[in-house]
Formats: sequence, C-alpha cells, structure tokens
Amino acid sequence: MSHAVLETPTPSGGNFRPHKVAHHFTSAVQEFQSLKLAFWLFLVTEVMLFGGLFAGYYIYHEQYLETFVACGKLLNRELGSLNTIILLTSSWTMAMGVRACQRSKQREMINWLWLTVLCACGFMVVKYFEYTAKFDHGVFPGSFFAPDETYAPFFEGLLHPNIFFSFYFTMTGIHGFHVLLGIFAILWLIWQGGKGRFHAGFSAPVDLIGLYWHIVDLIWIFLFPLLYLVP
Amino acid sequence: MTTNVPVADVAIEEQPKENYLNCSKGFWSWAGTLDHKRIGVMYLIGTTMAFLTGGIFALGIRVQLWSPDGVMFTQETGLAGYNQMFTLHGVFMVFMFIIPAIPGALANFALPLMLGAKDVALPRLNLASFYLWLIGTGFAIYSILTGAVDTGWTFYTPYSIQTEQSVVSMGLAVFILGFSSIFTGMNFIVTCHKLRAPGQTWFRMPLFCWAIYATAILQVLATPVLGITVLMLAFEHLYHIGIFDPAYGGDPVLFQHFFWFYSHPAVYIMILPGMGVISEVVSVHARKPLFGYRLMAFSAISIAVISFIVWGHHMFTSGQSEFVMMAFSFLTFLVAIPTAIKEFSWVATIWKGSIALTAPMLYAMAFLVIFSIGGLTGIFLGALSTDIHLHDTYFVVAHFHAVMMGSTALAFFAGVHHWWPQIFGKMYNETLAKISACFTLVGFMVTFLPQFMMGSQGMPRRYATYLPEWQGYHQVSTIGAFILGTGFALMIGYLVHSLFAGKPARENYWGGATLDWKTATPPVHTNFDEDPVVTTDEIYDYSFLSEEKGKA
Amino acid sequence: MADAHAEHGEVQIDESLKTHVCSGGQFFGVYIALLFLTIVTVGVSYFDFGDFNMLIAMAIASCKAALVMAIFMHLRWDTPINNIAFIGSLIFLSLLFLFTVADFSTRSDMEPVHGIPAEVNNAFDWKSK
Repeated sequence: MSHAVLETPTPSGGNFRPHKVAHHFTSAVQEFQSLKLAFWLFLVTEVMLFGGLFAGYYIYHEQYLETFVACGKLLNRELGSLNTIILLTSSWTMAMGVRACQRSKQREMINWLWLTVLCACGFMVVKYFEYTAKFDHGVFPGSFFAPDETYAPFFEGLLHPNIFFSFYFTMTGIHGFHVLLGIFAILWLIWQGGKGRFHAGFSAPVDLIGLYWHIVDLIWIFLFPLLYLVP
Repeated sequence: MTTNVPVADVAIEEQPKENYLNCSKGFWSWAGTLDHKRIGVMYLIGTTMAFLTGGIFALGIRVQLWSPDGVMFTQETGLAGYNQMFTLHGVFMVFMFIIPAIPGALANFALPLMLGAKDVALPRLNLASFYLWLIGTGFAIYSILTGAVDTGWTFYTPYSIQTEQSVVSMGLAVFILGFSSIFTGMNFIVTCHKLRAPGQTWFRMPLFCWAIYATAILQVLATPVLGITVLMLAFEHLYHIGIFDPAYGGDPVLFQHFFWFYSHPAVYIMILPGMGVISEVVSVHARKPLFGYRLMAFSAISIAVISFIVWGHHMFTSGQSEFVMMAFSFLTFLVAIPTAIKEFSWVATIWKGSIALTAPMLYAMAFLVIFSIGGLTGIFLGALSTDIHLHDTYFVVAHFHAVMMGSTALAFFAGVHHWWPQIFGKMYNETLAKISACFTLVGFMVTFLPQFMMGSQGMPRRYATYLPEWQGYHQVSTIGAFILGTGFALMIGYLVHSLFAGKPARENYWGGATLDWKTATPPVHTNFDEDPVVTTDEIYDYSFLSEEKGKA
Repeated sequence: MADAHAEHGEVQIDESLKTHVCSGGQFFGVYIALLFLTIVTVGVSYFDFGDFNMLIAMAIASCKAALVMAIFMHLRWDTPINNIAFIGSLIFLSLLFLFTVADFSTRSDMEPVHGIPAEVNNAFDWKSK
C-alpha cells in the first residue's frame, strides 16, 4: 500500500489550491472517471424519472387529442420560445465555463458561471409570468382547475382539459425545480471556484454540474415542442 | 481519525489486533463514518429491525386469520385495521428490509473486499444512502402515527387517492427510500467498473459481485420511475391532478403500468442479491468451484434485462389490452431460462462436493428447495389463463413469499451467518444456528403450503374474514408462522449473544477462496494490509486448503 | 485516512489526468446550430402537417438533443461506458413507452367479451372515440 498522498498538479495564475486524491483511489484518472460514471448514472435516473412523465403525456395526448390540441394553443408560444433560447444560451455559457475550468482560467470560469446563473434566473422569471398569466384566469392544476369567463369558452366541449394542464404544471414544475437546484449548485461552484478549488487538476465538480445543467436543458428541448408546439 | 500507534511486530499476539471495528471509537466515528464496512454494519442493524417490525405485523395478520370472523378485528369493531396491518407488513418488508438488506448490509461489507478495493467508489454517497434509508423509515413511521395507510404496498389508484392523508407521507417515504436504493446501486456499478484490484478482471469477479452489479443496474434504471409515480400519486392525493383518477379523465391502469415498471424489476432487485449470496455460500461450503461460472454471470445480467419486459403479468385482470397480455405472458416464460440455469448450477456445484452441513449451508439448501417451489409456481402465474383464476388469491401470496421470504430472506440469513465471523470476528453458537435453520425451513413449509392449497381453491388475499371451510388451512398456516417466528427469535438471540460472549473467530473461518476471506478477520480499516493482486482465473480454487493442511 | 498517511509527509504528483477540451469555436457553432433548430421548429409549428406534427417536432428535438449530448456534454470524447449508460437509459425508457403505448393502442381489439357492455369494454380505447 502506498503511503504517499496523491495530488494533482496545481496550476499557477490564480489562488488555486492543491487537490488531494481520495485515499481509496490509486490515481487521479481513476477518481475522475469514477465520479463521472457515477454522475452519468445519476443522469440516467433523471432520464427515467422524466421519461415516466413523458410516457404519461404521450398516452393522454393520443387519448384526448382534441383537448390537447386546443389547450396547447392557450400556452404562450412566444414566451416558450424565449425561454428555450434563454436556456440554450445558459447551456452554452455553462459549456464555456467548464472549458475555462479545464484550462485553469479562474476569472473566466466564474464569469461564464455568473452568466449561466443570470440566464437560469431569467428562465424562472419568464416561467413566473407564464404561470401567473394562467393562474389569473383560474387555470390551476388539478381540482383547483376553474377557468374564468375569458378562458371558459375555450374549454367548452373539450374532454378533460384539466389533464393537459395537470401535465403542463407537473412537467414544467418538476423541470423548474431542477432549474432552481441548478442555480444553487452553480452558485456553490462560483463560491468554491473563487477560493481556487477548481482547476485543470480538479475540474470534476464543474464538469459534473455542467452535465446536470445540460440535462436540464435537454429535458426542456423535448418539453418545449411537446407542450407548446405539437398540440 | 486513527492515532498511528507504532506497532511492534513482536507484540502483535499480545494485544487485540486493530481492525475496522476498534480502530476508532465514539458515536460520531460510526454516525459519520465513510468506511463501507461500518456502513454495512449499520445497514445490517437497521434492516434487521425493519424485518422484525414487518414480522410482527405478519404475526398479527396470521393471528387475525385464526378464526373465520377474525380475532383482532371483527365486523363489530371494524376491519380497516387489518388492511393497515397487511399494508405496513408489505411496506416494511419490501422497501425497508428486502430491497436494502443484502445490497446495503452484505454487499456493502463484502463487495469492495471481493474486488480488492479499499472502499466503495463514493463513500459519502454510501453514507448518504444509509441516512436516506433512516429518513425514509422515519417518514413511514410518521405515516403510521398519522393514521396508517390501508392500500396495500402497491398503492393502487383510485382507492389510494380517496383514502387517508397518510398515503402522502408514505409515498414520500417510498420516494426517499427509492433514492437510498439508487445511491447504493450507483455506488456498486462504479465500484465494479473502476475499483477492481489489479488482475481482477470481469470474469474473475466472484458471482456475488455479478449479482449485485445486475441488481444495481435495476436499481438505477427502474427506481426513478417509481419515484415519479409516487410523486404523481402524492400530487393526485393533494391536488387531484387527475392523471390516475378516472373521475378527472385519468386512467388507473396507467398507474399500474408505471408502478410495475419499477416493481417488477424490483422483485429481481430483491432476489438477485440473494442468488449472489447463495452462489458464494454453496461454493465455499461444498468446497467446489462454482459450476458454470460464466453462464451464471450472464444469467444474472439477462434476468436483469428480461425483468424490464414482463411487468404486465401483474396486471392480467386489470383490463389492459389482450395482445399486450399475451406478449407479457410469453415474455414472462423467458425468465425461467436464466433462473433455471442458476438453480441447476447451484445443485451441480453441491453435487459430489465436500459438503459441510454448516448453518449457512443449511440456510442455502433451504433456499434451493423453497426457491424451486417459488420459481415453479411462478410459471403457473405467468401463464395467462391460469393467472385469471389464481389472480389475487392466496396462491399468489404463497408464491411471492416463497421467492421473497423463503428465498431472499433465507439467502440474507445464509449470508449473515456466512460472513458473520468476518464482519464481527466473533463466532455464534453453531448448534443453535442449525436448529434455527431447521425451524425456518419447517416453519416456512407449514405456513405457506396450506396457502398454496387454499389459494388454488379461491381464498382471496387481503381479506380480514373468510368462509369457514378454509379455517383448517388458515390455522395450520398461523401455527407455521409462529414456528418461523420462533426460529427468527432464536437466531436474533444467539447472534446478539455472540457479539458479547462469542468465541473469537479464527482467520478465514470457512476457508473461502475469494478476496473477502484473504484479509484479516475482521478486516483492517483500509481492507488489506497489502494491495491485493489477482493472478488466477480459478477464483473458487480450494486446493490451498489441503496444502495448508499438508503443511500443518 | 488520507490525513493519517499524510503524516508520513510524502506527496506524489499525479499528472496523468487529461480531459478533452473543446475549442470555443466548436461550442459557439453548436450554440448557433441549436438556435437555428429552435427557430425551425417554432416556424414549422405554424403549419399543420396533421399526424406528422409530432414526428417533425420530435425529430428536430432529437437533433438538438444529440448536439447537446455529443458536444456540450462531451459524450463524443467520453469513455464507452458513459455512452452505454446514457444510451442504455434511452433504450429502457423506450421499453416503458413500447408496452404502455401498445396497451393503450390495442385495447379491446379482440372479440368483445360476452356480457360486458361495449362502453365498458371500450372505455379506454383510442379508436372508439
């Protein structure tokens, strides 16, 4: 058993701290690959979690086609597109942030991460306006679904319009929850990154939270056309 | 954590050796430990407590069914309490005992050792998984205190939407326990991929590792779907989102699809680790290399894969499409192939072996018998036309208890007895252990064979009262349950006794050939004093034992 | 435990960790492509292609997803096992889709069961609407 502590090289050009490889790994590569595989497995669980919702959505979409077509038109396509563009931008800035980290550019990384947080908050703000626009007209999820006189005519003769909005609020709600978690995770990266913990020798946390952020984007890439465009 | 006391080589015999149990002391050295062995021990204690709790509920069920009109709950006093009792029995046994027991307790202890790793890949996640288990259990207990769930462990809609509010907290408990299970699975997959010792190739991994690896795949892929399902169920209960509620245009059968997409793979999450334990136990205690090693490894993986395409056989009377039912029924029979490969390979391993009738081996043999019964009756239930008759009868109850209780729980106890000296460095009273194993086998048969019989005659499950003609069967079954209970109580007794007054176990107590035995008993904190290297394909080669004997 | 060993004072530098770094231009190209595909999918949605609406939208979404996965998420340069894990999840997800959708789309395709009213038998049949 080797008694030496393994460290990855600590780059210069910032207040970088050395990274110790955990005791049960024999090399930095093994540690990085282990963390990465574990995180990919976590992403697999995310895919399966949202997959259940998607399967449910697809089945009711076929079941109540007319309802879904009519209700989908009530969603704000422009705001949806805006949010898509915001989220894609944040995905790009995140990728650039990871790139900066891999090249040990501390300042650059933190700037890209701030941009990502900004976009994420923008997404949530737009989401807030979309939600309140629906709530104002009494379009609530589930049994609180009670459209007012402006919206009620849209739903006349439609079978169970509440189901569409249940899916809309559940899916975008759980997705929004993931965005919120992502914001906190990236803020943590910015905080720790400022202390110089992440650099070419130890980019795993930035890399992994980046992956998380991309999967949040990936889910939105499917949610957006399903909810706003296809019906 | 440790104070590096310089240990003089000569003095080693005098003082107790340092191992993972005594290397640090105090509450936080356990509560905050990242050592997979200690986490395994904590899981062992926790899951055993859950087993005892679930067992008490089981005895309650059997007492109730002693007389046709019910003993504890009658028409006059109301029968709802019975529904709560079998629900809690199911939830505790499934989510808090069987699913986490072998991976959490035994695999946590043995898998890194078998692979020659110093720890699991992500020790913090491992600890988090245990705490999630605790929190989930806490939620389950909270839901009991706030008016216990009475839906059965399957939470079928629409009933689960209308019943008590505590369904929400129980759903939350299941959600959290699911994440505990996912974290365990993720950890084991990564450990198997990245942390194998030099020379420890995939086909030199002990079969226990293969079984746990296959289980972990299921845990990672299937559990999230359960997560989203119980989450939607909670929303359904709180906000009536209507997705599973026919009153709002939803389809309850969709809930069953989602539920069984998890819960069918989940029955393999329960049984595959048990199969892994049995593979190790029969090989060590029959002193023979495992028969058909590669096929055994592949069959573990193929059971995992097939389990994803057979879930509909739980829903033959739910009103799903007839075409899909036929497909599910056909696909279900595929499971029999890898399962039979396993069963026959174990038997072939024992055949002409140097069989030691030790306590773990007795448990393992009981497993082989009961698993055959459970497996073969599974074929009846997988067949579409027979299942229409047997659906929701005691035949189903007896079938899955043969697989879950008679096989997985027995495999768990086989494993506990097998690794006990290695985990604690103490040896239990073997005579008592053998008696307890016999109690378990006899108790199982007496409990469940009558259930097969009355099930085939139409006794429905989950009924608090029944027609008088089944009373004989029920009474025999209740007696059997108490025989089982006696066996388990005895077991807990001598195991706990051994911790305090047991004889110290010698190194490599059973003479195992895999890496988990090629270290100190109990292992040191970092598992191995020297980094192990695997040099041979013959991982189940016991010839070293006769050589040692020759030298002596 | 690492700290316990640190008392021995030895520190080894492990330089073997090399991760693939994409060029900034590559990322920007992908970003532009994603924006372009978003415009396409929104534009297309103003036309009605009947049954193909879903197919077209999903095809474009899959292209976008593939770009994100391959480049932003580095899967193209990642180890095979990470690729297998992720693609495997999609395969198993498709099993969930396959069988549930197969159920809903073939309900009561067989001869109606005697004695059960048609509206009960066809309660959840897509074609009975």
